[in-house]
Amino acid sequence: MFFHIVLERNMQLHPRFFGRNLRENLVSKLMKDVEGTCSGRHGFVVAITGIESIGSGLIRDGTGFVTFPVKYQCVVFRPFKGEILEAVVTLVNKMGFFAEAGPVQIFVSNHLIPDDMEFQAGDMPNYTTSDSSVKIQKECEVRLKIIGTRVDATEIFCVGTIKDDFLGVINDPAAAA
Amino acid sequence: MSEKGGKGFKSSLKSTPSKYGSGKDDNSTKSKKPKKVQFDSLGTKESGYKIIQDSDDQFQGSAKGGKGSKPKKTTLPKEPQPPEFKAEKELPENAKFLMDCEAFQILEGIKAHIAVLSDDPSIKTPVSFDGGVEYVKYGSCYTNPQSVRQILEPLKKHGVTEDELCMIANACPESTDEVFAFLPSMKGRKDKIIQPLEEAVAKLSKLERSA
Repeated sequence: MFFHIVLERNMQLHPRFFGRNLRENLVSKLMKDVEGTCSGRHGFVVAITGIESIGSGLIRDGTGFVTFPVKYQCVVFRPFKGEILEAVVTLVNKMGFFAEAGPVQIFVSNHLIPDDMEFQAGDMPNYTTSDSSVKIQKECEVRLKIIGTRVDATEIFCVGTIKDDFLGVINDPAAAA
Repeated sequence: MSEKGGKGFKSSLKSTPSKYGSGKDDNSTKSKKPKKVQFDSLGTKESGYKIIQDSDDQFQGSAKGGKGSKPKKTTLPKEPQPPEFKAEKELPENAKFLMDCEAFQILEGIKAHIAVLSDDPSIKTPVSFDGGVEYVKYGSCYTNPQSVRQILEPLKKHGVTEDELCMIANACPESTDEVFAFLPSMKGRKDKIIQPLEEAVAKLSKLERSA
């Protein structure tokens, strides 16, 4: 789920960036440093939407660098347990399948795929129902529920299920073609 | 727990002759108020309180000697239950939930902004940004977030939380059964909420984008 949050960061800036464009330089460095990062607490910082405040700089002893406390607003994406996400299948194997929902990767184990779906090996490995009416394969869209998250310093990895009501394949481009 | 209490006692006894070292003084000051500090902290943290309650219950059970009944009770919750959606509790401070359609609107605005700003070739749009935009582009079924909020906002009167509200908007439900399947926490309030929810779902289906 996306949310809007105010975060704070101490930005160190080299004196060569001082001058009339100091603010712009600080903001562009913030964007470079922060956007795309991931923390377990907040999730993926998708984009900075605004600067709340820039505090007065503090010269670091022994170096010319100055530290500015910057408060900024950003859009963050973080998966929550119990959340429903629509994800695109990226890899299918006999253990289950991997899918991506935005920047998040989700693994759905074969234990969490409905029992009537069986793994079919081949050029395009997939999970198919006995009547072949439903097929999970690479690039198809599935609606799944997050049941667990593992937080890394730079990554959030999720485990999901499609073994519940109103979950499963929502769009299969291969079938549509 | 009993060990902690014991430690507290020992240190409070030590505190009377301790005027030799500052370190010990610190310990003694801490140990002089251990009861207050410990109880306050446990009282404020709900999760900590719960654990103590649970453990107390277990102790009570064992004290009563109910050997037959208690183990059965402990085995019951072990049944696999789907995790309940409690995003609001996990949400950090200063944060506000966004529906996918709201996020799409914001990110689209920024995308145009970034294209103008990125004279600096070292600034590249991060993978998570592109991923996020892709996700909301195809995931969000509504184009007008204001009207979605207008439709769903009245549900707050019936105890629907902000995170549940966003979840409903993101799931693009076609029926109330779908909502209850995705948010099992709402099943308890089903009688009260079913009518306003039905109205909201009907209005949302009219809003739905023809993809």
